[in-house]
Amino acid sequence: MNSTWLLYMAFAALLVFMGIYCLLTMRNLVKLFIGVEIISKGVSLALVATGFVKQNILTAQAITVTFIVIEVSVVATALAIIINVYRHTGSLDIRKLSKLKG
Amino acid sequence: MTLQIVLLSGLVVFSAAAVLFRDLLRAAICLAAASLFLGIIFFRMNAPYVGAFEISVVAGLITVLFIVTIALTKTEGGVRESKTASWAFPLFFIIFLIIDFIVTRSLLGRVPALASPPEPGTFGEALWKVRTFDLVGQIGVIFAGVLSVLALFRKRGNDE
Repeated sequence: MNSTWLLYMAFAALLVFMGIYCLLTMRNLVKLFIGVEIISKGVSLALVATGFVKQNILTAQAITVTFIVIEVSVVATALAIIINVYRHTGSLDIRKLSKLKG
Repeated sequence: MTLQIVLLSGLVVFSAAAVLFRDLLRAAICLAAASLFLGIIFFRMNAPYVGAFEISVVAGLITVLFIVTIALTKTEGGVRESKTASWAFPLFFIIFLIIDFIVTRSLLGRVPALASPPEPGTFGEALWKVRTFDLVGQIGVIFAGVLSVLALFRKRGNDE
């Protein structure tokens, strides 16, 4: 039981690492949100795996459904902001945002 | 268990492809494929509801949102990604894999077994009776998301 849980946690950690790497190194705003999505996949894997191993799969499912709803809401808002940023600056480069005034 | 490890590896491979592809459309499709793998993993973990949610909402809806954004912003927004980031990824990935393996191995047998009594009832009972306030929060979050998108895309009035 313990080894199964640790296996899932190792894969979840790998996903979170890849998402953080994407956030730290990429410059495109859409790519950054792909990184956020990968992190959220790791988190939902960890939630469901813990529920599966602890035989609390029903509660884990309920929490993960809530997490997915929040994820969708965040992504929709963020992508709307990205489209507005593109209309204002003509670029999706994250470095150009640091030069904005006011 | 072997099939589960193959599925988990597929999930990691497609996520890595989503990070590494320069073409945003391909990256979004790889992300959808990774969600599909995660959904199958959830199905195999006796979590069919969250598996269906993952495949329909994350692999479906979020991919559509990404593709619409990519279509509206065109030509990748004129961003040149650094080549060093792509070249360094396998190196950092292997370093993290080794650290991950060492930490997991050292934790094996040390982390106490977190056993708890099995839950009675169904998923519906767990969601509606045990996590009732989560549903209120979900409704609030959905409304907040809809209102924020409406606010971001509102048209300018004549007085502005």
